[in-house]
Amino acid sequence: MSRIIRTTVLAVLGVLWLLPVYLLLVNAAKAPETFTSKESWLPTDFSLFANIAEAVRLSGLAESAASTLLYAVVSPAIAVVVGAAAGFAIVALRLRHGFAWFVAIFGGTVFPLQMILLPLFDAYSRVGLFDSRLGMVVVYTAISIPFSAFVMRNFFTGIAHSVFEAAVLDGATAWRIFARVYLPMASSALVAVFILQATFIWNDFLLGLVLSQSDTVRPIVTSLAGMQSTYGGAQMSTVLAGGLLVSLPTVVLFLFTQKFFARGLALGQY
Amino acid sequence: MTSDQTAPRRPGNRRPRDPFQRSATGFVAPGVILVAVLLYLPLLWTAFLSLTEYNGLGDPEWVGFANYVEMLDDPDFLGSVLNTLLWVAGTLLVPVGIGLGVALLTWNLKGGTWLRLPFLIPYALSGIGVGVIWSFILSGDGALDQALAAFGAGDTPRWLVDAPLNTVVMILATAWQGVGVNALLFTIGLQSIPKEPLEAARVDGANGLRLFRSILWPMLRPLTAVVVGLSIVASLKTFDIVQGMTKGGPGRASETLALTMYKETFVNSEYGLGSAIAVFLTAVTLAASVLYLRQQLSSKHGV
Repeated sequence: MSRIIRTTVLAVLGVLWLLPVYLLLVNAAKAPETFTSKESWLPTDFSLFANIAEAVRLSGLAESAASTLLYAVVSPAIAVVVGAAAGFAIVALRLRHGFAWFVAIFGGTVFPLQMILLPLFDAYSRVGLFDSRLGMVVVYTAISIPFSAFVMRNFFTGIAHSVFEAAVLDGATAWRIFARVYLPMASSALVAVFILQATFIWNDFLLGLVLSQSDTVRPIVTSLAGMQSTYGGAQMSTVLAGGLLVSLPTVVLFLFTQKFFARGLALGQY
Repeated sequence: MTSDQTAPRRPGNRRPRDPFQRSATGFVAPGVILVAVLLYLPLLWTAFLSLTEYNGLGDPEWVGFANYVEMLDDPDFLGSVLNTLLWVAGTLLVPVGIGLGVALLTWNLKGGTWLRLPFLIPYALSGIGVGVIWSFILSGDGALDQALAAFGAGDTPRWLVDAPLNTVVMILATAWQGVGVNALLFTIGLQSIPKEPLEAARVDGANGLRLFRSILWPMLRPLTAVVVGLSIVASLKTFDIVQGMTKGGPGRASETLALTMYKETFVNSEYGLGSAIAVFLTAVTLAASVLYLRQQLSSKHGV
């Protein structure tokens, strides 16, 4: 197909793809008084920031955002290191039955969350982790580990074992080799996994829905869903502004770190 | 590493001496423990609960396969299975198909990176975020209806109310989000195709569809298996977008398996039945996972 036809087809499709984004921006910017569900295509006024402020006030989004930021930073940070440690044990330290352990860890990611929701809810209620930040960090960490172990093992497989042997001859301990040699070599893979997992956690809805309740603990996407069902009828422009606010961090992060994303995806074959 | 003869100090022990086995165990332990306690233990507990009658109070009461019988007898469950199948088929057809199309169109095209960008913007949105935008667009007299009216279409269907149309439009909303990442993956695949066979085929006059059929498609096969497998698995788990847009309604008309499980468990407190549905969903997902796990776990793919 000729260059011009290809470009035209892509441009038309691209514009089509951007229409929902346009509609979101235009309508999230309408003051509740000027907003009408019957006139969606033309902008009327610019009250975006007032709407965002109102959305934050209505649903406690500020507290949610702070907690979600904590989850999306701490959990993947722990998970990449734990996953890298597992990969290091299997590949560099040649853990006995390493492949079996690897499959055991990786297997944690293949079944749907539905299979663990109820026992988690039940157990969290009993031990006082329900509706707590610690409980959320722990569960997000656990579900992030299989993927990071998978990627890090694959990555370490590409490092010659002689690197490890040389460090041993220099008298380094296993911990030192891990922290000073392997982790630094893997930094780009670590960042790639971290970004993928942080995005996934920021966007989580289901675990937040089941394991939390209060505005302070509840992840932001779960709060947005609550806001949509409570105010979706009367204050649509406010809800749209809330949706924009909640979505912006991951969209911006993704667009600026596309290379890392692509790398993480390629490393995970995903 | 292979022979024990040099380590006579520990007779009877077949294992070779390896100073790092201890630390290896220490390094793998945190991951194994976290995954075992937070993922595998709950998993086994759900499997057990599916064989009991339980509502959160008192103790689970053993009922054998009664929950599974009840599940299979329930017309709402069958509706949910059908909707889920529709999701699987639709997700393969639309986001994977268009994603491949976009990747092929932008391949070796000047400015291709920029032309791909619009498709990538929705990728990092949450399912609920997508739901908020599309519920607004698809509402009665909403943006889509206004646009259609401008083109003279008066009587439009109730997008999110009429079943199974509501499932179809939700699949399209998901496609709006998913095309970008599939395009990105197929692009990575296309870029890794060696240049020589392509040049040879071009010299031989292969072009367009022929080039695609005889060179590109076979070379993309391994990647396609992964993308298809992941799409199937992801669509089987569909929850967020449906919960955000129709809550499975009207009635239970647009429920997926993941949603039915959630409702039976956390709305109706039918823990046993909800667990049975979870086990069913897991079995189906695992079967589908084999498709791409074989590819992923084969040793050739250490990157």
